[in-house]
Amino acid sequence: MNDSNEVSLENKKEAKLPRRDWILLPMISLLTIALLAGSTELIAHYMSSGSTTDIADCMVKNDPQHGARGIPNCVCWGKTLETEEVEYRLNSHGFRTGMEWGPKEPGVYRIVMIGSSIAMGYRVARNKMFAELLPGEISKRTGRKVDLYNKGVMWGTPHSITLRFDDVLAAEPDSILWVLSETDIKEASALLPLQEPRMSHAEPANALDRRFGSLRRFRMALATESIPDAIGDMLKNTGARVLLQHYLNESQSQYLKSYLSGQEEAGFLRAEPSAEWMTHLHEFDYYVGEIEARARAAGVPLVVVLVPDRAQAAMISMGEWPAGYDPYKLGEEVRTIVVSHGGTYIDILPDFRNIPNPEQYYLPVDGHPNAEGHAIIAGLLARELTSGAIPELRVHPPAQQSTLEQRR
Amino acid sequence: VDSASLQFIAFGLAVALVSNFSRSRVWRSAVLLLASLVFLGLLAHNPIVLLPLAGFLLLGYSALVLIERGWIRSFAWILAVVIFVYIWLKKYTFLPEGIFLHSPYFLLGLSYIFFRVLHLLIESGDNREKSHIGLGAYLLYTLNFTTFVSGPIQRYEEFARDQFAAEPIALGPRVIGLQFERIVRGFFKVNVLAMLFNMVQVDALAQISQPIPSSLKLYAAFRLAVAYPLFLYANFSGYIDIVIALARLMRVRLPENFDRPFSASSFLDFWNRWHITLSTWLKTYVYYPLLMVLMRRFPSSSAAPMLGVFSFFVTFFLIGLWHGRTSEFVVFGVLQGGGVAINKLWQLGLARAMGRKGYKALAKIPVYIAFGRGLTFSWFAFTFFWFWASWKQIDNVFTAIGALQWIGVWAAIWLCATIVLALWEWLRATLLSIKSSDGPVLTSRYARVVYASALGLVALVMTILLSQPAPGIVYRTF
Repeated sequence: MNDSNEVSLENKKEAKLPRRDWILLPMISLLTIALLAGSTELIAHYMSSGSTTDIADCMVKNDPQHGARGIPNCVCWGKTLETEEVEYRLNSHGFRTGMEWGPKEPGVYRIVMIGSSIAMGYRVARNKMFAELLPGEISKRTGRKVDLYNKGVMWGTPHSITLRFDDVLAAEPDSILWVLSETDIKEASALLPLQEPRMSHAEPANALDRRFGSLRRFRMALATESIPDAIGDMLKNTGARVLLQHYLNESQSQYLKSYLSGQEEAGFLRAEPSAEWMTHLHEFDYYVGEIEARARAAGVPLVVVLVPDRAQAAMISMGEWPAGYDPYKLGEEVRTIVVSHGGTYIDILPDFRNIPNPEQYYLPVDGHPNAEGHAIIAGLLARELTSGAIPELRVHPPAQQSTLEQRR
Repeated sequence: VDSASLQFIAFGLAVALVSNFSRSRVWRSAVLLLASLVFLGLLAHNPIVLLPLAGFLLLGYSALVLIERGWIRSFAWILAVVIFVYIWLKKYTFLPEGIFLHSPYFLLGLSYIFFRVLHLLIESGDNREKSHIGLGAYLLYTLNFTTFVSGPIQRYEEFARDQFAAEPIALGPRVIGLQFERIVRGFFKVNVLAMLFNMVQVDALAQISQPIPSSLKLYAAFRLAVAYPLFLYANFSGYIDIVIALARLMRVRLPENFDRPFSASSFLDFWNRWHITLSTWLKTYVYYPLLMVLMRRFPSSSAAPMLGVFSFFVTFFLIGLWHGRTSEFVVFGVLQGGGVAINKLWQLGLARAMGRKGYKALAKIPVYIAFGRGLTFSWFAFTFFWFWASWKQIDNVFTAIGALQWIGVWAAIWLCATIVLALWEWLRATLLSIKSSDGPVLTSRYARVVYASALGLVALVMTILLSQPAPGIVYRTF
């Protein structure tokens, strides 16, 4: 097996390969590959089994008039390799919030939060979402009673928010907090999620399909794609891939190397935004202008925050990044846009400098913040919102310790 | 294409295929020369940057011709000029900055070309009859794309024996199968194993400076020290596996560069198994000549062992120094030279105290071998801090935890390496003891197909499906 053994093996008299080996050896190879791939996929499937629904099953995703929205009073569950089962229980208006819509109690300061998956707490139990933690954090600092009505929904893109903005104002906000991710900016003008090949409810999956989701997706993909594309999609969606990617992405160095080598994915981290990203920013600018104008007309201040992407947070924490990249760049662009329209931008990106390995507070493959990440975001938002971003909530130092500071 | 990438392998396989269109040595040499020039062109992009390398090759060939024509009295001067030009092109920091070329130029492969050129000059300088080496053969030997980037350092006679043979060595299905299995193994080592070890090392390096509990720091220090030698082995030996297999498919046998180095039970033995062609080259052209000179100068038989120790130190100091141009590599050289010298002194001391028979008996005791193996690995791992790190990083790492804690870490590494490597040896011996009529089952073609398929699948998943970038070949920079 060692290197020098090779030589002695080669020096053996070169005999003809038995005829049976021309069949047997390829068969052994195929069998090995099938067994290895199959067993890894089974292990991955076993680790993620337990849920056959996801938040998508509680969403209306085909209404171009209003964009994606939650189905009122719907309950669904989602479990992945990276998370325990999470319940998504929507209220009578289709939002994932503990409170029902109603008039404000006297003396209560009401924040209405808008945004997409991060705001609605995708992959996190409701009581651990920053939307649930934030009112308590702010009350602790200000002594004021604060409630937060979370109108964040999956695929709550800037365009779809403009379509539902009257509903936002109808919730009687004292201020509107808009929580953004880079995806929201990239898909600013999108209204509906990209249609993935997926079995409709009218066509229930058979038992085998349910057990092997990849095969199901492959069957559906074959209807619309070429065979190589369908195979590529199937491989990318296998449990084994997610399992391996999860463990690799837990490494800060390897994750960043891999992430930055994906030109398209890491485009928003470029020091000089590409033409494509400039287009995204122009579109985003348009929707910010519209949302801010309507908020101002209603006399409600708009506060915008960008939650860093997992790679962005890791780069900021490390304090160094390859030439041509700048993890602060997108935040600066968003600030410029928001401020130019008269809104307020709160910058939590520099806070990630002081958090060692912040990528551990995100799900390694999925990329959304985990429960600890939500707690950190709640602490950072509470500090910023009570530091003057919202004058009514301003507290003068020394401020009470935030969750983040306690963590340190 | 200068790494163990799929592109490099595809390039090599394509060249091997075309090379085998004819068994004629002219055809095979023409294909190899053309492929090597294309390879160089792919690496350099701009022909202008190749001029210094071309100049060095021309200088080497001119020197060779002069020596062949009897300029033997000027041999030392010719050698000195070639060595100086190499040092000048490599921009060693002890030379004044002002004398260097300031426009960018192509340096990749220069060190390995230097070893080959020096080998040709020294061998030509010997009094023995040598056949003339033509320019074509010289270029084929020095620019051979399979050994260009990181070796192995092949002797000219061995290269010529296979490359210019009227009847090239056999290449049947069994040999082809073995080479494909070796390519897969090499690709797996570089793109999966090395990537994983590098990941462990880089993460540990980042972690050790963070404000974390001391138990985690100790664990980070342990991983940091252990991961690098394993990474380098997977990175370098994987690449060598690929090029040896590609060359074999072109009917040329390259020398082995590794022989299970972590099985070595002493540091001296280690250097017989690690980067074998480099240590052999230096033993041939530094150790033995130096020892001969010293023994002539100090003919006392009682001084001979110490002269050997000194020669070992100089040889392995030079091996360390060769790796880089900065002061870190001076320390790396001292630690390599010091390691082999102390190892030799230990052997001499024990032989003196216990007698030769007693020492030989001791050296066969499994526990002694196991601890020797663990210590060899630990020492090697320790020396590598001056190989991969800058002085600033070394300072950060060694001040991250206290001196006593470091001693504890090294003791743990020694113990763990002893146990793990002993278990590995036992497992390997046990598996190889399972035999069929054709030999060990584990090395049968059926078993090889099984693990080559498995390793190939994992490597392709990592590189294509997961797009995990692996570090480049470390030795390409030397």
